[in-house]
Amino acid sequence: MKKSISFAMATVMALSVTSAGSMTALADDVTITIFNSKTEVQSQFEEKAAEYAEKTGVNVEVYFSTDTVAAHMATRYASEDPYTLSMVDAKDIYSLAPEHGVDLSDQDWVNDTDYEISVGDAVYGFPICVEARGVLYNAEAIEAITGEEFVPENYATLDAFKELLETLVAGGMETPTGIMKEDWSLGAHYLSEIYEEQEDVDAFITSLHEGSADLINNGKFNALMDTFDVLMQYNYAKDSAIAAEREVTEQKLAEGEIAFMFGGNWDWSVINAYDYSEKMGMMPVPQNTEDGTNTKLVGGGSKYFFIDASDNTSDEQRQAAKDFLNWLVYDEEGQSFLVNDCALVPAFSNNALEVTDPLGNSVKKYADAGALVPNYNYAPDDHLSLCGASFQKYLAGQIDRAGFAEEIENYWKSTTPVEH
Amino acid sequence: MKKNTMSYKVKQYVMFAGPATVLFCAVVLLPFVYGLYLTFTSWDGISKDKPFVGLTNYISAFQDTAYWQALGRTAIYSVIAVVLVNIVAFLLAYLVTSGVKGQNFFRAGFFIPNLIGGIVLGYIWKFVFNRAFVALGQSLSIGALSTSWLATTNGAMLCLIIVSVWQYAGYMMLIYVAGFMSVPKSLAEAAEIDGCTKSQAMFNVTIPLMRASFVQCLFLTITRCFMVYDVNLSLTKGEPFNTSVMAAMHVYNQAFTYKKYGMGQAEALILFLICAIVGVTQVYIGKKGEVAA
Amino acid sequence: MDDNARAARKKKISHAIMIAVLIVLFLLFITPFLLVVINVFKTKGDITSNPLALIGEHGFTLENFPKAMEKMNFVTVFTNSLIITISATVLTMLVSSMAAFVIVRNKWKACALLFTGMIASMVIPFQVLMIPLVSLYGGIFGVLNSRLTLILMHVGFSVSMATFMFHGAIHTNVPLELEEAALIDGCNRWQTFWRIVFPLLKPTIATVAIIDAMAFWNDYLLPSLVLGRKELYTIPIATQVFYGTYSTDIGLVMAALLLAMLPILILYLFLQRYIVEGVTSGAVKG
Repeated sequence: MKKSISFAMATVMALSVTSAGSMTALADDVTITIFNSKTEVQSQFEEKAAEYAEKTGVNVEVYFSTDTVAAHMATRYASEDPYTLSMVDAKDIYSLAPEHGVDLSDQDWVNDTDYEISVGDAVYGFPICVEARGVLYNAEAIEAITGEEFVPENYATLDAFKELLETLVAGGMETPTGIMKEDWSLGAHYLSEIYEEQEDVDAFITSLHEGSADLINNGKFNALMDTFDVLMQYNYAKDSAIAAEREVTEQKLAEGEIAFMFGGNWDWSVINAYDYSEKMGMMPVPQNTEDGTNTKLVGGGSKYFFIDASDNTSDEQRQAAKDFLNWLVYDEEGQSFLVNDCALVPAFSNNALEVTDPLGNSVKKYADAGALVPNYNYAPDDHLSLCGASFQKYLAGQIDRAGFAEEIENYWKSTTPVEH
Repeated sequence: MKKNTMSYKVKQYVMFAGPATVLFCAVVLLPFVYGLYLTFTSWDGISKDKPFVGLTNYISAFQDTAYWQALGRTAIYSVIAVVLVNIVAFLLAYLVTSGVKGQNFFRAGFFIPNLIGGIVLGYIWKFVFNRAFVALGQSLSIGALSTSWLATTNGAMLCLIIVSVWQYAGYMMLIYVAGFMSVPKSLAEAAEIDGCTKSQAMFNVTIPLMRASFVQCLFLTITRCFMVYDVNLSLTKGEPFNTSVMAAMHVYNQAFTYKKYGMGQAEALILFLICAIVGVTQVYIGKKGEVAA
Repeated sequence: MDDNARAARKKKISHAIMIAVLIVLFLLFITPFLLVVINVFKTKGDITSNPLALIGEHGFTLENFPKAMEKMNFVTVFTNSLIITISATVLTMLVSSMAAFVIVRNKWKACALLFTGMIASMVIPFQVLMIPLVSLYGGIFGVLNSRLTLILMHVGFSVSMATFMFHGAIHTNVPLELEEAALIDGCNRWQTFWRIVFPLLKPTIATVAIIDAMAFWNDYLLPSLVLGRKELYTIPIATQVFYGTYSTDIGLVMAALLLAMLPILILYLFLQRYIVEGVTSGAVKG
């Protein structure tokens, strides 16, 4: 017995010693670490990082996490081991960058984009791509029934859209729409359009905080909810809308079992794993409205890099990080990496590469035409979860439109405005 | 032997419990105390300044109705899950130690669910509840099965309980098996020779001698259920409409998603106190009547 | 029919019922696992469209395995996981069985305090300790990004439950008379523990070892906090690469899962022998 114990002890010691040597970077090389929160492009990022290192001599290590961005950032800053470059969401730039980020206003690329994020006079957020929301369609499936070319602009109003749906139903596609029940899709994407398409967004949000907004009589709220009702009415998962699985919905859209789904160009990373139709695209959410928002997608810059300003990052690393950002904007290979490898819509006007995926292509078209309603990035952190839950209740038929409006109003009344 | 001198005691303690004490204090106690301090600040989780706010977080925690709802929900879930897990685990342990043919094979089979964790577990069960059950219900026209259970509040709770039982029963079975094994077969056999029936022997001889296993299993299931997070996240994510958010998930959201770290930490501490009181009481009562060999 | 034959028949029937119950339960328990096995040989599209089919529309494929292994850098992460799990499990066994022994056999205040603290600590939600832990060991001591730190942390977190389990086992299954006999034979406490007590704990050691090894092997949260460098990654961290924000490559996830669970399954089958062997045989050998 004793023998086996001392053997076990010895093994543990040996293993611990061999594992104790922690890694130290080679002195003459600069290594920068990148946190990538767009996990769908992780492998592309890693491949490119290796090539970049070979060319420039700067080691680039790309990390990711499945934790929420805010939680992951919190642990990295708590352990004083931050990334040189961190990719975060717009709202994280506002909360993190003024304290932890480097001012980038002297960089050339600031003049080549409309999507950078500044706080006060300082530019902190480097926009990685443009993303937009709208109704995704499968033109091939539609045309197979109608027999004529599908021109999305013809269905900007709800009346026209509904007529088309009826035609599809009559032609054999019994349930032409799908709805994602995820709280981020309902709460952060669809509901947010109700704020974003108001004439004066800030004034509207203020009125919500003050409790003076009358949602149930608000034109935009009703226009978008009318459209949502139609999407619900033709939903393939009408009977259990709240249990519909995202992967299944997207597969049905990709393969033409349904024709429409509210979503965004990020959905391409799901759709492209299935037998998708080439003739897909994104169109504005149809609405009976006169304000022109039914000719625009909603979106803008998405995911931002900031450079760490703390003592844990050296000046050489900061310079290398700036160089890397410039490479993404001005080097042909960097441009191609964003557009061709990652299938992102570039946020910089000098990047003229053709976006290959059909959804991104639609976004690029609308963005170039100036037809994007900007994102509202200042909703409180619990908005998505709490209002998303209210929206799910509406989708499940547990509350009616008045009840939904009331819950949203109550939410806003109970929160304090986010400074910006 | 100078068993009563202080130096003997200290030497014995350091020799046997020293490493455990040091590691335990360094890894658990120290961070816990620091975490306790953070509940008195309004820290957002990442900023450099941690403004001291006294008891504000605890007051807000007591006023946070969503938190108390989550706690209540967790209590209901825990009671049902704990009872079911232990019944099933005990039954399994009994069956696989009774000398049935192929019992090693069965033991391995019941243990396997433990090896499937995280997102795969959620994915598989979501499929089972959303599609396999529904397809079954529709083809056999069983009303209760023809829509997904995950779409309703009570259904989601039921699903959580089912998955917990499925996951933990095999794990607790291990402990009960060890318990059965530690009761000498001769004792129960002697009782039977003395005229006890099989079930009498079970209840009067075997089960009392397995008290330690029961205390351990109950404690483990109670605490695991109260702090359930993984299954909650991967199976329901709190849906539908945040009605399946358990206490740990609420705490996590509060601290990290809503960026109220101090308040999340305070709510976690209240959760800890409740668990500690329930768990320690149960162990204390259980240990008190333990039969020493 | 005489009594013996009747009893034998009765026994046969109850045996058959037991087997039937076991098989039903077994199927219930194993079905989700079978779903993993079936789907790992399909493409992603086939998994989503029909997870129940034995073979997908696009046919039987083995590609998920090499793809998963390459993407997660399998050899490195497997070695890391192995080193960490073995070291932490062995250390936990030794450290906590010793602690449990001194706690059970002595009514000292320090023992009671430690034991109560340990039990209470088992109900601390890990999220509470997460940030303070990295603040202390990353921010102040700067010892993160090392396997040794992770091993010691694993031991620190699991020592409570292991001590708790050993406590129960020593209390009920180790006869005091044996220890007293050893004392008379001239053993000191240290020798008594290793020669008499420890061997008697075999079933519990095997049980705790499998529980802890499984926990260490599968743990994601703690390693992800401690190991911030790619070359130190363990299997669960490496597997996360398959879970995208907007898409999950479920085929690869399942392949990784199967590859990762094999060692634990083997360990379980191996240790099961000791769990079953029971105490009495241990006592004789001691």
